[in-house]
Amino acid sequence: MRFAVKQVGCGGERIGYLTGFVKSPNTVIETPAAALFTQGGSVVHLTAEVLCKVFTNPQLLWVPLSNSAQLENGLKAQGQGVAKFAGLPNHIACATLHGNNELTPPGHFEGNLVPLWTKQGKKMITADRYMDFMEVFKPDILLAIADGRSTLADGYKRNQKAVERTCSFLDRCVYRYKASKALRETSLIGVIVGTGHRNKCFECIKHILKHGEHLSGIALAGITDGTEESLQVPVQKLEEIFRTVGKVIPNDMVHFVEGCWNPEIIMTAIQHGWDVFDGTYPLKLTNAGQALALNFDLTTNKDDMCILDLNDKRYKLDFGPILKDCECLTCKKHTRAYIRHLLETREMLSNVLLSIHNLHHFDQMFVHARNHIATKTFEVYKNHISHQYRLYVKNLENDLDSVKVKLSEKDIEQTKKKICVSNGDVPKVVTGCG
Amino acid sequence: MGSKSLALSFHVQAECKTSRARAGIMKLPHYEVKTPVFMPVGTQGTMKGLLPEQLECLDCEIILGNTYHLGNRPGTDVLEKAGGLHKFMSWNRALLTDSGGFQMVSLLKLAEITEEGVKFKSPYDNSEIMLTPEKSIEIQNCIGADIIMQLDDVVQTTFQDYDRIKEATERTSRWLDRCLKAHKRPSEQSIFPIVQGLLDRELREKSARDHMSKDVNGFAIGGLSGGEAKDEFWPMVSLSTGLLDKNRPRYLMGVGLAIDLVICVALGVDMFDCVYPTRTARFGCALINTGQLNLRQKQYETDLNPIDDDCSCSTCRNYTRAYLHAIVTVETVACHLISVHNIAFQMRLMQTIRDNIERGTFPQFVNKFVNELYSNGDFPPWIINSLSSVGISIVKK
Ligand SMILES: [Zn+2]
Ligand SMILES: [Zn+2]
Repeated sequence: MRFAVKQVGCGGERIGYLTGFVKSPNTVIETPAAALFTQGGSVVHLTAEVLCKVFTNPQLLWVPLSNSAQLENGLKAQGQGVAKFAGLPNHIACATLHGNNELTPPGHFEGNLVPLWTKQGKKMITADRYMDFMEVFKPDILLAIADGRSTLADGYKRNQKAVERTCSFLDRCVYRYKASKALRETSLIGVIVGTGHRNKCFECIKHILKHGEHLSGIALAGITDGTEESLQVPVQKLEEIFRTVGKVIPNDMVHFVEGCWNPEIIMTAIQHGWDVFDGTYPLKLTNAGQALALNFDLTTNKDDMCILDLNDKRYKLDFGPILKDCECLTCKKHTRAYIRHLLETREMLSNVLLSIHNLHHFDQMFVHARNHIATKTFEVYKNHISHQYRLYVKNLENDLDSVKVKLSEKDIEQTKKKICVSNGDVPKVVTGCG
Repeated sequence: MGSKSLALSFHVQAECKTSRARAGIMKLPHYEVKTPVFMPVGTQGTMKGLLPEQLECLDCEIILGNTYHLGNRPGTDVLEKAGGLHKFMSWNRALLTDSGGFQMVSLLKLAEITEEGVKFKSPYDNSEIMLTPEKSIEIQNCIGADIIMQLDDVVQTTFQDYDRIKEATERTSRWLDRCLKAHKRPSEQSIFPIVQGLLDRELREKSARDHMSKDVNGFAIGGLSGGEAKDEFWPMVSLSTGLLDKNRPRYLMGVGLAIDLVICVALGVDMFDCVYPTRTARFGCALINTGQLNLRQKQYETDLNPIDDDCSCSTCRNYTRAYLHAIVTVETVACHLISVHNIAFQMRLMQTIRDNIERGTFPQFVNKFVNELYSNGDFPPWIINSLSSVGISIVKK
């Protein structure tokens, strides 16, 4: 894989190209972009047949080992890598250790072993075992194994440990990577951890860059451990990290950000030169029965909320689409009232229809971002999106206040839950099928 | 040969020269349905996570909705304002709804049946509700399916008390009159009466003859497939199809196993429905000609074949058994993928049946099918007997 910056905007934002994928040589992924989050190798809720109705071009797939380790034996027998095995042969797989939408217990490290939290329970794995997995997964892009599930609230000791461990993992990963025939068509990405402690974080970056010649990019972790609290970071604080870390990473390395970040934070990261996001955010909305409905038109300011909760009774008789003028299949053919009915009756099609819309619309947010970078208007676009998101959060908080006046504990709890979800709570893990 | 009405016209296009099997076209307000047809069940206005365009792609021409569920959620107020279920769920082809009676009696232990209707406690808010024939038709008129069912007095198939069965059979005929009288949209929707009588020949015959005298566009055969022995099941199907008008479609309720479809088509049935193909998909069971694969089994872990080499569904084109094994019962996608295959399987079977009836090779097809399913030559007696009753003898290959 190759990464090239095509154009830079007025700030640090940039348009880049990911090309040279050996398995799909004609594929070009334009950045900034978000990957599609997968479970068991499949884009969550969508079969390959349905995914074709959302995207006609190859997409990045975010493939956490924690939810796909059970594919190993099948993959070994098939020998052609996880994307092909999961029925998505033209797409680009990015493999990593954990998904950022998972809640996992803290700690559990033992020496050079990392806990891998799967649906079947905890598996302790070494960097070598991780690379064994990767040799059968054969992803196009491979994030090195790392201790990245710490938060900005963690102290010196936790960050120190994380960096120490991650550096030694990376040494092992690079060693294995260089020697591996199976991973010849794979690009390796170093993972920054210890982000909660500035010096430790930079120590980590320095170590990663020592392996620079073998790495195609860098991923930023160590900010969130998947919990709600860890995502409650002031934008300013994150902006500082995006800026200072972004500055020391060479421009020709693709910049990944892990974490279930809201549109405002994503815009901030883009502005400081971050290129690829992990796709957990639209999934979180879908699993909560919510739909993203941003207004991309800078010439109009609408008061409509940019996130709709389709569980709400108010949509019972609303026969309009989720979002007027949205080009997705859900909006072209189905109504808010129908999706609300599917949610109420816990029918699986609700997740399918919401995924189609949320993935399309989330992708559109990036399409517009690239267009505005190209026309040097990204700053205005960023403010336009951030404004809508802030308005939404403020509105939810007002809802909560007014509910408090009316005094129903249950309502307050429910509204609180909504706010949690909107701010980046963990989506419910899907078990069984409906 | 056939029947004509605005709401339904039925043309038999080919008849098997040996058995009672026939292939036809049933013209409904929303679609022309090729018979014999299998109708997948989409209980609450959706089919197990599949998009309407996927169902079209699978050649589904008519699907089922459940009146009892739809009447509760989203409710008639929503359906009315949406302009009916077709528009609400964005399905442009044909729909059929049941009467809601069966659901009530099977789901709710508290149901009490009187001459007026079925009285039960709502599981949603515990209030007492009376479902009368008039109410059932009112809801079904609102849902707007192409074919709707009369409310019938349902008795468990294995029930033994003659007096109760007799009462239920006769009441079903009385309720039919009330349903027909209450029907507000006869030019858009056809009410099918339901032949009752459980396993009693005389009662079933009486029921069929009663219904035959009514101005209806088709018939349903009910009260079967409820746990009775196969030896008791097929003679009742045969008796019913033998009495019912040849010019109108016959619908056998709740039957969907491949072998049952083949046999009952031979006995003269035109329409079937069953939750089985989609329900079993949830548990990882994929349908194939020789039965089914339980994809949870360890033996599929490294099996790189598709579910069925001969199947051209999107699941068999894109996915291996090994992959499905790895995600089955864990990811919703697995459920969608197997549902797609299972519906494709049912549709392909019905297409093959129709093709063979049209080509005049239906008896040969039945022979091949039975031999493949029971490759050891151990044919169950009910299969031999039912087929020989319509002139098809099974020859061991
Ligand atoms: Zn949309
Ligand atoms: Zn198939």
